[in-house]
Amino acid sequence: MKVLYSLLAACTLMLAACSDNKPVELYNTKAALPSSPKYNLDGLKVITSFVNKTKGTASTLYGNDLALKAAIEGNKIIAGNEIFTLVTWKQQEDDHWFGAKIPSDVESVEVVKTASSGNTVAVNYQQLNGKALDLKTDTSGQAERIKYILGQKPSVLP
Amino acid sequence: MRTNRKPLYQRKVFIIIMILFLGFVGIQFVRPDVPNPPVTGDLEVPADVKAIVQRACYDCHSNNTNLRWYDKIVPVYWGVASHIKDGRVDLNFSEWNKLAPADQKAKLWESINQIISGAMPLPSYTAVHTEAKVSPADLAVLKNYLASMVHSKPADTAAINAADKQYQHWEKNEPAITKLPTAANGIAYIPDYKNWQPISTTERFDNNTLRVIFGNDIAVKAIKENNIHPWPNGAIFAKVAWAQLQDKDGTTHTGEFKQVEYMIKDDKKYASTYGWGWARFKTPKMVPYGGANVLFTNECMNCHKPMAAEDFVFTQPIKH
Ligand code: HEC
Ligand code: HEC
Repeated sequence: MKVLYSLLAACTLMLAACSDNKPVELYNTKAALPSSPKYNLDGLKVITSFVNKTKGTASTLYGNDLALKAAIEGNKIIAGNEIFTLVTWKQQEDDHWFGAKIPSDVESVEVVKTASSGNTVAVNYQQLNGKALDLKTDTSGQAERIKYILGQKPSVLP
Repeated sequence: MRTNRKPLYQRKVFIIIMILFLGFVGIQFVRPDVPNPPVTGDLEVPADVKAIVQRACYDCHSNNTNLRWYDKIVPVYWGVASHIKDGRVDLNFSEWNKLAPADQKAKLWESINQIISGAMPLPSYTAVHTEAKVSPADLAVLKNYLASMVHSKPADTAAINAADKQYQHWEKNEPAITKLPTAANGIAYIPDYKNWQPISTTERFDNNTLRVIFGNDIAVKAIKENNIHPWPNGAIFAKVAWAQLQDKDGTTHTGEFKQVEYMIKDDKKYASTYGWGWARFKTPKMVPYGGANVLFTNECMNCHKPMAAEDFVFTQPIKH
């Protein structure tokens, strides 16, 4: 009897398992970056990635080929046509893995661009904030952010 | 009124039932052995945690299997015996001392994730052994215990030096890899992964690593076109893991490079491994994980199995 009962239970369970339509969340929609003419990650490579556990943020620093090369050389010489982009997200628990944190809402996108003319190299900095990517107009603290971004040591990617 | 029915033993139905019954009795003698080998070193965790694991997992993942009478009836017994055999191979709490401390920790985190996803204890088993179910209260006990093992502290000089040394070699492009290392299943290291686009990052506080997940062009195109369920053939992921290197102001950077892992989608070529080709290469020398033993892919598959509804992929890509 117990066997029959068990088989029955197993069958019900299998049926239940099949009709279990837990919605499948394929994308991390929270962390998605809006497309905007203000920045462009296409073709950029990963320079490094880091987190701040106190603030609960995750960042990835991207760069074009020139920026990556300069970063590996320690950014000792700043040349023109380098693009660095630092994206910082809030973190969230990973629903798929207890023990992991993944990016959540975007906090800021910071873009550093260099341009050379003659003997001088101009370094341009822009900070875009929040999901709306609002341009930060207050320019104080820019020098410090540029130094911070150019000071990042690349991740070992053999 | 008298009927002219045949005596019981001459009726067709009766004969069929008898044949089935004799067959049923007969197969009871076809019994694979389920021995209980000696316990070499049992799981060591606080008593409340251990009680849950013993109740829910030990029948299949220890040398103290306790078969109930109804487990011993063939054909149920065949299933039970094979579960115990497979379960013990992958994870055996009675031979816990055979695992390095880091591997013990990893198995515990994997275990709790298998419980959370409903993959373990096997649902077909808890349907009968209801006492083995892990309740939400049990789960909270397990989660608290694991969370209490997480410590984050600034990196010590040894970790910093190791990372620096590795960095200097990498910067100078040493060791230059001339011949591509190949895993036992024939998958070779793909050096180009670093030029692919990152699709997500993770901070793993279970094992103190940072990870970046890259997708090749086919994967990135599929993400843009909402065509990832299932992922198209030719899509490849590369996941890189580094040790965490925490500085004094709370920023945690990537330290030593640990490994790169690949999943290559091909539903025909890799049909026997969930439609994906799996490979892991460790250290900058890209040493193939698993050596010559192709069974390493079972490890990958077992842990990715709860993601079957997502085509075995954990990562939820970030669009931009
Ligand atoms: C009825 C038998 C059974 C029970 C009970 C059971 N398991 Fe399993 N387990 C298996 C089998 C069989 C496998 C092999 C893979 C598969 O078939 O899914 C496995 C695989 C695993 C794996 C993957 C091992 C690896 O590294 O490859 C983990 C982790 C695991 N079980 C954890 C647990 C935990 C934790 C419990 C208790 C909460 C549990 N199991 C209870 C049978 C069982
Ligand atoms: C203990 C569980 C576990 C095992 C074993 C495991 N993985 Fe994963 N894998 C994960 C998790 C969790 C993620 C999600 C990213 C993260 O948090 O690191 C992941 C992600 C990946 C990814 C990125 C795509 C995705 O699914 O998100 C690749 C590639 C990958 N794993 C390859 C492998 C290979 C190859 C093996 C075997 C050599 C393997 N994994 C074994 C848990 C595991």
